[in-house]
Amino acid sequence: MTCLVGLVALILGSCTGPRTPDLPVMENGRVEVLRMEGGDWGYPTPFAHYPRGPGGFKMALIFDSLLERDETGLIPWLAESWEISDMGKTYVFTIRKGVIWHDGKPLTPDDVCFSFNYASKHAATWATVFGVIEQVETLGGNRVRVRVNEKGATLLYALGTCRIIPAHVWRGIENPRTYLAPEALIGTGPYRLTDYSQEHGTYRFEAFDRFWGPQPRVRVLEYRPVGEPILAFEKGEIDLTSVPPDLVPRYAGNPEFALVKSPAFWGYRLVFNMEKSPPLKNTRVRQSICLAINRDELVEKIARGAAVPGEAGILPPGHVMYHKPKITYDFDPAQAVRLLQDQGFHVADGQGEITGAPLLDFHLLISTQEVRMAELIKERLGQVGIMVHLISVDGKTRDARVRDGDYQMAIIGHGGWGQDADYLWSRFRENPSLSPSTSGRCGYLNPGLNVLLDKQHVALDPALRAKLVADIQEILAEDLPELALFYTADYTVYRPATYDGWMAMFDHHALSHSKLSYLDRKDGVH
Amino acid sequence: MPGDPFLFLSGDQGEQISAYSDEQIRQYKACYGLDQPIFRSYLSYLADLFRGRLGQSLYFNESVGHIVLRRLPWTVFLVCGAILFSTVLGTALGSLSAFYRNRLLDNVLYGFMMFFSEIPAFLIGLFFLFVFAASLGLFPLSGALTSFSPDRSVVQVLKDIIHHAVLPVAALSLTRLGGMYLLVRNIMISIIPKAYMRTARAKGLSRYRIFIRHGLRNALLPLTTRIFMSLGTLVGGAVLVENVFAYPGLGLMISQAVMVHDYPLIQGIFLVITLLVLSANLMSEVLYRVLDPRVKDGEG
Repeated sequence: MTCLVGLVALILGSCTGPRTPDLPVMENGRVEVLRMEGGDWGYPTPFAHYPRGPGGFKMALIFDSLLERDETGLIPWLAESWEISDMGKTYVFTIRKGVIWHDGKPLTPDDVCFSFNYASKHAATWATVFGVIEQVETLGGNRVRVRVNEKGATLLYALGTCRIIPAHVWRGIENPRTYLAPEALIGTGPYRLTDYSQEHGTYRFEAFDRFWGPQPRVRVLEYRPVGEPILAFEKGEIDLTSVPPDLVPRYAGNPEFALVKSPAFWGYRLVFNMEKSPPLKNTRVRQSICLAINRDELVEKIARGAAVPGEAGILPPGHVMYHKPKITYDFDPAQAVRLLQDQGFHVADGQGEITGAPLLDFHLLISTQEVRMAELIKERLGQVGIMVHLISVDGKTRDARVRDGDYQMAIIGHGGWGQDADYLWSRFRENPSLSPSTSGRCGYLNPGLNVLLDKQHVALDPALRAKLVADIQEILAEDLPELALFYTADYTVYRPATYDGWMAMFDHHALSHSKLSYLDRKDGVH
Repeated sequence: MPGDPFLFLSGDQGEQISAYSDEQIRQYKACYGLDQPIFRSYLSYLADLFRGRLGQSLYFNESVGHIVLRRLPWTVFLVCGAILFSTVLGTALGSLSAFYRNRLLDNVLYGFMMFFSEIPAFLIGLFFLFVFAASLGLFPLSGALTSFSPDRSVVQVLKDIIHHAVLPVAALSLTRLGGMYLLVRNIMISIIPKAYMRTARAKGLSRYRIFIRHGLRNALLPLTTRIFMSLGTLVGGAVLVENVFAYPGLGLMISQAVMVHDYPLIQGIFLVITLLVLSANLMSEVLYRVLDPRVKDGEG
């Protein structure tokens, strides 16, 4: 009994009672500390952060690149200027002077050369230049020349976003993924990592007082573990969080909070394996499937309104190269039935009854996260006579089966829809050397589309490229090699009185991921 | 277990993923020996095991041993806390129930235990989180320690750890409490009418002394067995509770490792847990002999 009472007293003695939120307040546009949701996303070096999650954006707080992304495109960063020549095979960057590493040593063009050579040999987690570079050399006047193996429209982006690492630290490191020493975190970025705990999922960054660029508006960034982010935000433990659509009315119209709808750059697509399922080679069948699926219904019932219906041309409406195709596919089951009848397939009659034996019968491979979405699709396709059987597996298993072509139809959800339109080349260019590791495409062939994809892949003139990508979207809308189901558009809430510097990069959805969100951009980059 | 640990074609909603190229995947597989024939890989794994090495995590870029060693103490703390709390409270309440058998107190306790022992640990955890942490603000929402507070004394750190552990331990304990309560109640009901208990009462001993020295002492044996045998299920419960409270133990690590198909880490964690459970069974055997001399005498 004595022990029991002692135990209860110890527990009660450790309770501090209810706490009022201790909210940081902005003064003169600056704030001492910002707290955000943590979680372990890896040791924040370019090679050790995890491929899933925001680990790379934490790494980018420490390590700069030659160019940076703002709301509209690429801006000079460690490189003051650049020239492209030799039909896009040679890039010359003029490196900014006066940049200091976190250990006080100066950044030199040799560091830039070393970084490119190192990243060519040891793939970074964001492997933008792996297998791309032919030669790197320093020229006079603080300039670095990079020659690439093949020209490409996205190479400026790839070279510009490669992280620059100090040669005096990384020279001799043979396995960068396991190099977790404190020296591995020396960069030129606006923040230094002062605390990291893998098991607790905490990060603490402090502003680097000798940072070369726009001064940080936030002195300390803290990432701490939270079980329920909304609860943590309401209690003032974190200063920004994503809001599920059901809770948007709680914050909308309240002057204490600012609610921002993120760009719709994360989405789901329905992919077809035309090699394994010959009926899917028929364009009219794919068009019928598109007409039979109610994408507005998916937005309303699955995303609860926080999404944008998928576009037939694949690129989401917020994409910088978005073009609205002439051909559109509103939900029209009757038209879907007519198309199937024209092709000689058995369909459902007006009451949804199947006349004769159904001929179109597919397996739909999904992960456990897409079951509700798949059930709705199955029901809609069943109404026009297309039978669908769901195969639900865990996400990694689904990915492996899609990569190996072991599916008929599959639903895949991922981000990156706002990235350079060249991902259309990876997804739809018929080329045996291109792996479906990042595409999921199987068996689609359109020689005319291949020509356009190849042209845009190397076009350096922005106007010409935009025209080519627009034409590509027209063909994709007509052919429908895959269906973009919908793109999610999450809401983010924060307290403007605490901090109001949030911004989203032109090709990314999350406000807290860009380091420009924490810098005083009125200073500019000179 | 199907699935390529280096293939990232999809992610959770809103999650950023970096897909590896085929060349990258080849490089990583060569680095981790995954391009070797399966028998060679297995023999290499066994050889490392005998050298005390659990391998390298494919996803977390660290040795499995280091990851497990950092997280194991938190799970052990949680599980031991739950065993201690559920045993002490279950014993006390079970004894009370036995003493006041078929009276109001017994009926209320019995109904309470039956109800709460069937609720899954994660549901209880969520309930505690919303009520005691979110609404009343008595306890933290997550984690095992207050982050970023380096200048604290040992006592302050210990208080902070206990403060963070209260809800997870309570959630885990409630799921075991019913079983302990019933066991002690049933044993005490069978012990109370015994002749030696009557003798003790006749000698004028205090009720407390009769219960503890004469009654509970005989309940120790099955209770000890029950405590050690429940370790395996408690670790399973800890997996769910750690996920609810973002508690940095092996349970949270297992769920993350399974999600990314980090095979060496999954193997390492399961091996450690298996060894712990087997060790607990062995300790139970040893303790049994100490507590019951008849076992040793029987062997002689």
